[in-house]
Amino acid sequence: MSQHLPCPNCGADVVFRSPALPSRVCDYCRSLLVRSDSGVIKVGEAAALPFDVSPVQIGMRGRIDGKGFEVIGRVRWAWTDGAWNEWLLLFEDGGNAWLGEAMGQFMLLWERSLGQVRSPALRGIVKGQDAVIGTEVQLDHQKLVIADAREVVCVAAEGELPFTAPSGWKLYSVDLRGQHGECATLQRDRGETSVYQGRYVTLAELAPRGMRAIEGWTLPAYAA
Amino acid sequence: MQPDAAIRAEPAPATRALTCPSCGGGVELRAAGYTVHVACQYCGSILDVTDPQVKLVTAYHQAAAALEIPLGTRGVLRGVEWEVIGYLQRSENGAYGWDEYLLFNPYHGYRWLVYARGGWSLGEQLTVMPDWVAHDQLAVAGEIFTHFYADGVARVDYVLGEFFWRVAVGETVQTADWARPGAMLSREENAQEISWTRNEWLPSKEMQQAFGVQRDPLPWPPLPHQPSPWGDWLKTGVKIGLVAFAFLLLFAFQFGGTRWDAAGTFPIAADGREQSVTLGPITLRSRYQSVHLRAEVPRLENGWLDLDYSLVDRKTQQVYEAYGAAERYSGTDSDGAWTEGDRRTAVSIPSVPAGSYDLVVDYKGNRWSNAPSYLDSGAGWMDAANAPQVTVEVRQGAVYASNLWLALILIAAPLLFGLFRHLSFESARKGESDFAPSGSDGDDDE
Amino acid sequence: MSGRTFFFSLWCLGVAGLFVLGAGFAWSPFAEGGRARSHAGYYGPHHK
Repeated sequence: MSQHLPCPNCGADVVFRSPALPSRVCDYCRSLLVRSDSGVIKVGEAAALPFDVSPVQIGMRGRIDGKGFEVIGRVRWAWTDGAWNEWLLLFEDGGNAWLGEAMGQFMLLWERSLGQVRSPALRGIVKGQDAVIGTEVQLDHQKLVIADAREVVCVAAEGELPFTAPSGWKLYSVDLRGQHGECATLQRDRGETSVYQGRYVTLAELAPRGMRAIEGWTLPAYAA
Repeated sequence: MQPDAAIRAEPAPATRALTCPSCGGGVELRAAGYTVHVACQYCGSILDVTDPQVKLVTAYHQAAAALEIPLGTRGVLRGVEWEVIGYLQRSENGAYGWDEYLLFNPYHGYRWLVYARGGWSLGEQLTVMPDWVAHDQLAVAGEIFTHFYADGVARVDYVLGEFFWRVAVGETVQTADWARPGAMLSREENAQEISWTRNEWLPSKEMQQAFGVQRDPLPWPPLPHQPSPWGDWLKTGVKIGLVAFAFLLLFAFQFGGTRWDAAGTFPIAADGREQSVTLGPITLRSRYQSVHLRAEVPRLENGWLDLDYSLVDRKTQQVYEAYGAAERYSGTDSDGAWTEGDRRTAVSIPSVPAGSYDLVVDYKGNRWSNAPSYLDSGAGWMDAANAPQVTVEVRQGAVYASNLWLALILIAAPLLFGLFRHLSFESARKGESDFAPSGSDGDDDE
Repeated sequence: MSGRTFFFSLWCLGVAGLFVLGAGFAWSPFAEGGRARSHAGYYGPHHK
């Protein structure tokens, strides 16, 4: 399934591992690439990722809910009060999920189809209304509360991605939290909205291998 | 899948260096990528580091406070190494100040080290919300917490180091706390969000080992979540005590001794003279044993029988003696019929060495001279025509039941003392709660 | 193990030891009888 192609900018070998992930950032020249039937084209340039001490990195593997995964991409987002990482996980069955990393805590989120979202409050947000913090929302059988809503901006990206993530790309993002660690995120981009649903996880639960080594810090026992 | 070129062989650096735009001092960012605000460790100015260019938020020109744990200090708590990266001094609008240190480890995220009124706690922000289990109780991860402090206010009075949010001196949040021995559940609320933190009690000794802070005496009155110094010991102590007592019980059953054997039945003379019988031989085989003697006078009424037992070693003539008496009285008074005493008597002779023994029983019947006169002819229970009889039985033993009870009392005594101390500690602890019943309640009820 | 637990274990061991020792001599602080102070003499005539 994976396809090796030369980067149209620098000629380096770039890999597209899933048809569901048509975008990627060239590992060498940081060109934003998009694959189509006619080949790979360069659509822009990714900004340099600012230095951070995240323990996750592209290539880290792990296992959750009995399925192995590999980290293959990342988007870094910022808002007025900080920034966080969204890591793209490619599962061995071909599916993908996002591992959100903010304030030292991790959220595992799967995209779900917007058509299944029935909640009137969420449908209102999809139509362009502003989210009201504290609103209770029913998503499937989960009761969630809108915890946060703000405009976010893409700082930089790397690796393979389901969408092109140019720096400066602005989204309206709504975070929802459940009583027992359930969480969801809604991201609205002008006309298009995506909904992601999942739960808080710990790094230890992910049984990570190939975590990023950080100078002066010993890798935790769960990653040994 | 092929190995990814993006994996770095070299470890990533741990810090990002920047320059304070206010004082020009070099500031090391220890949680780069997470940190939003830094309070410069030289001048106290607050800097925004979300962008590559550092922005000055608030300029201060103050000498940084000397902290009990300096920023950058590392310590291992419960198997995980933490680095102190931030410090907050907070108070209840100026009263009851406390310290909060922000800890960071790139692989474990953030924790809080809280120092309040002489006690340390390790705080972790929860990703779940507690459930109500009673009007004053919350449950989270199988632990039950009881409401301890009602609505309070926490104000930031001083900051130093880096934080993952925008810090500002003077900023306040609404607080409430729930506690259980060993941990506290704290709720903080502002206009934007509600957060829950579980603060685990850290013994002073652990903090000294981890961060080299000086050891404090245990706070008194206790902190809301301070564990009773007697609680853990009581739990293990009860187990140890039970094991010890079970051993003694088993031992007692193993070496309980023989059954009761009839030794003889003799008539009691009506004239009340001293009588004597010699029984035996009684063979004692153990190195030492106790000899238990039991006598019963079925027809005893308003009188008593004196029994002098002597065990005489046939070889050495050594004598072991014991005295017993069966007494039984009855009558009628304004409250009705009454009886007193027992027609039986049991005594024992301890530590009798092995040998062949004669048992000499000297006995003498007595009448109660004050016995109500309406009772029969005046002869009372000692009837010459129909002499009452005394039956004597013998048993050999090793373990006295009384020793077992004594051992139980000795084993239980320290535990009862500990329980008493534990309960007084717990009542002092709970007495600090905003929800404690007021002191006079119940005490003076009549 | 805390010092308190250690000392309590020692205490229990001591109590159990005394108990076993007491059983060895079939002794109890609450037993009524005992070895006669004066030697047989008085009881002599009863002995056959």
